[in-house]
Amino acid sequence: MEFKKIVKTILFWEILQGMWLTLSNLPPWNAVTRQYPKEPRYSDPGFRGLHALVRNPDTGREKCIACGLCAAVCPSRCITIHTGEDDKGEKIAEEYEVDVLRCVFCAFCVEACPVGAIVLSEHYEYSGYSRGDFYFNKERLLDNWDTFFPGEKGKWYMDNIWKHPNADDYKAHDDQAVFHGIQKEEKQ
Amino acid sequence: MGKIEEYTVKRDADRTDLKLNMGPQHPATHGVLRLELDLDGEIIRKCTPHIGYLHRGTEKLGEDRTYISALPLTDRLDYIASMNNNIGYCVAVEKLFGIEAPERAKYIRTMCAELGRISSHLLWLATHALDIGAMTVFLYAFRERAMIMEMFEKLTGARLTVSYPRIGGVRNDVTQEFIDRAHAFADEFPTHMEEYETLIDQNRIWLKRTKGIGIITADEAINWGLSGPMIRGSGIAYDIRKHEPYDAYKDVEFEVPIGTEGDVYDRYRVRMIELRQSALIIKQCVEKLPRGAILDPNAPKFTLPPKERVMTDMESLIHQFVLITKGPMTAQEGEVYVATELPKGEFGYYFVSDGSGKPYRMRLRAPSFVHASVLPLMCEGGLIADVIANIGTLDIVLGECDR
Amino acid sequence: MEQYSAAEKIYELFSEKALALGIPEPVLVIAAYAIPCLVVINLIQGAAGMLTYAERKISADIQNRIGANRVGPFGLIQFLADGVKLFLKEDIIPDAADRKLFKLAPYIVLSSTVLAAIVVPFGGSFIVADLNIGLIFIIVVSSLLVVGFLMSGWASNNKWALLGGIRSAAQIISYEIPTALSLLCIVLITGTFSLQETVMSQGLWPWQWFIFHNPFSFVAFFIFFVSALAEMNRTPFDFPEAESELVSGYNVEYSGMRFSIFFIAEYGSIFIISGLAAAVFLGGGNIGLDPYESPLHMQLLMVGVFFAKTVPLCLVIIWVRWSMPRLRIDQMLTMCWKYFIPIAFACLVATAIWLLVFNGNGIFWRMPAP
Repeated sequence: MEFKKIVKTILFWEILQGMWLTLSNLPPWNAVTRQYPKEPRYSDPGFRGLHALVRNPDTGREKCIACGLCAAVCPSRCITIHTGEDDKGEKIAEEYEVDVLRCVFCAFCVEACPVGAIVLSEHYEYSGYSRGDFYFNKERLLDNWDTFFPGEKGKWYMDNIWKHPNADDYKAHDDQAVFHGIQKEEKQ
Repeated sequence: MGKIEEYTVKRDADRTDLKLNMGPQHPATHGVLRLELDLDGEIIRKCTPHIGYLHRGTEKLGEDRTYISALPLTDRLDYIASMNNNIGYCVAVEKLFGIEAPERAKYIRTMCAELGRISSHLLWLATHALDIGAMTVFLYAFRERAMIMEMFEKLTGARLTVSYPRIGGVRNDVTQEFIDRAHAFADEFPTHMEEYETLIDQNRIWLKRTKGIGIITADEAINWGLSGPMIRGSGIAYDIRKHEPYDAYKDVEFEVPIGTEGDVYDRYRVRMIELRQSALIIKQCVEKLPRGAILDPNAPKFTLPPKERVMTDMESLIHQFVLITKGPMTAQEGEVYVATELPKGEFGYYFVSDGSGKPYRMRLRAPSFVHASVLPLMCEGGLIADVIANIGTLDIVLGECDR
Repeated sequence: MEQYSAAEKIYELFSEKALALGIPEPVLVIAAYAIPCLVVINLIQGAAGMLTYAERKISADIQNRIGANRVGPFGLIQFLADGVKLFLKEDIIPDAADRKLFKLAPYIVLSSTVLAAIVVPFGGSFIVADLNIGLIFIIVVSSLLVVGFLMSGWASNNKWALLGGIRSAAQIISYEIPTALSLLCIVLITGTFSLQETVMSQGLWPWQWFIFHNPFSFVAFFIFFVSALAEMNRTPFDFPEAESELVSGYNVEYSGMRFSIFFIAEYGSIFIISGLAAAVFLGGGNIGLDPYESPLHMQLLMVGVFFAKTVPLCLVIIWVRWSMPRLRIDQMLTMCWKYFIPIAFACLVATAIWLLVFNGNGIFWRMPAP
């Protein structure tokens, strides 16, 4: 044992082992990184990215009722709402502004909204040359909805991703994920 | 430190040749720590840490936010283990309200906390090795850290600042894919650990740089109020997960590793064993994960009502409005202190409540703040290179240190 | 033996024709000396450029990354892009710096590398000047690095740079000794300081190389290689730069072209030291023929053989950098004075005894008949 240790010390055994490890990682096909702008990375559904105001398909306008809960819950105070009345005398958001540079993307506004009028899209590639580029008013937020949630996707999102807490969260049910073991999974 | 003294010419101990400002912009000070070093040649005669470059007034901000919306503030304390911060906050607020998260939520929290611990320890290993010069370990550790990041992204919607737990549970349920991935990750993680250990564990250069450096004896560790791997490296088995178990820690089995010498190498070994133990905890949590509620259904006064009911039921709608604008109003008057085991050490939340929806006082006991104060003890008498090793072994995060 | 000089050779080759064309002789002499100098400077720059590419690519592959791949096929001309970028950058000289020394320092560092290249035999008759004190010349000019590093460290008027400069002085001066001693083992065998003769007394096959001459020259090779790593400030001995400790060490205040000159010198010296190791210990470009008498295509083959030995050594140096942590400055000096110098001395003495006992012969290598 002692002799083995001495031989290993003289031969720099542990350093050679380390160098062998780095050498075995040398082949270029071991690379785990991604060529980002060329190979874009799509976030999973539910990623908390850029904001969008939901457009009501029936009226063609925003769903928002200007209750101000999102502005109240926002920890970074980045939402500004000016309320007003429309022709029928209903309360609407005349101006709805999100200062994205202040936002911390906690999605509390989504949870607070009683009508499901604001969502966070999975879009994260927004950059600009001025602060104004990050100041989203109502029109730009509605445009985001049209761009990132076209057609049925928006409805699917509202039903499946941005609907928590939902009633299922308060009770046990059979769909809940539990561990079935590794073998069983392979058979399936 | 005695060894270095042998090589130096005996001189006046107070003599300093050079005053050096290490930081706040320095690649090895892990953020914005600033050390004022009085040097005699390369030997440190005096070391004065200066903090506060990342002070954002989190404690004061917390007094201005309801219990619900103060949660994302805690993400930004120890920003590389935000999951653990969030969980600590929720456990503390739950104690204030006198509630407890359901069983399933506890297991999910424990699992996520340990994933966060692995992620944080991997970042520590990466930067510690990088500081000492082993640059390849850095990217190998980040390779595995990216897996955890992706799992968090799938589960919570954010990679770093997760804001995942909620008062009385968690934000959303885990999917089958997530727990399978978590189990597979915990299964294969030890093989990746062997890679890092091949590169540095027995490497004689690494041993020379870490053994006998920054020694803290057990007495000193207690006197300085150290916690986490810092105190365990000095040979004291103090782990809040064992001593005052929260969440599901009393139901899982794990060991608390301790060191013998209290030097940089011992703390390195302690954290490496902790990484393995965390993987074991994740496996146990996944296997034991019960079915059940993930938010406390018996406490409608501080958990948000289900979204469907908000949209249809008047009472729930009012409840939602009151909760969000005024905060949970059911807190008892009084104070509560809850400590949780963060990757860095004991992180304590101390709330004083006056019965309103906002804390009257939120005080955070940050391990990095305490650990930064022990730097002079470790550094004085050593060389500049030892300062780097010592900062690395503290695993200091200035976000929580300055708060 | 007469000293060979590429400049004289060029002068001999072209003097008759040029004089006939009416070119005055002083111009011809200057041209004859300028051509090899330009070739060597460009060779060093090219080698340094390719080595920076190799470093980036190898480090990337080792760390499971992809590395430079945008400029040119496989990113091969990335180093040109880097050079252009650095060339166009603003040249910043700090207000409090000693301007003259600050400007001078990079050139001294570079000149040390380029001067060392003069005596390295690149195979065949491709050597700028075969000085009969070639090895001593290399040891001397590589000490110039210290002057440059200290100068840049002092002139920057920056505490980190000063520490880096002083570290480099301690390090390079210490490691000069084991480097020289291990080279002296070979000098004992050949009896000459001329590098071309050292190459010529070896052979094509591995058993004819001096590394396998006797067990002590084998040890001397590793002593030489490791202490050369230290002289070049490569990991695990990169104290003068030590990014995580001294930010960037002696070159912390440099920018633009002056910064890139430091880098050309660093990577150029990797190439030169590898070439030196290949020439002295691994037979250089020797394929068993007389380099001065062979036809051109055989000479080019010799150059190929030389590069086939030098390039792997360069790659090993890069590979070592990405596999090891960094020592501490006192540990490095301890290693030098307590281990390397005694071992190198022991090798020197043991080689002398070996030569006495075996009458100058090695294990396989035979003393040529006088």
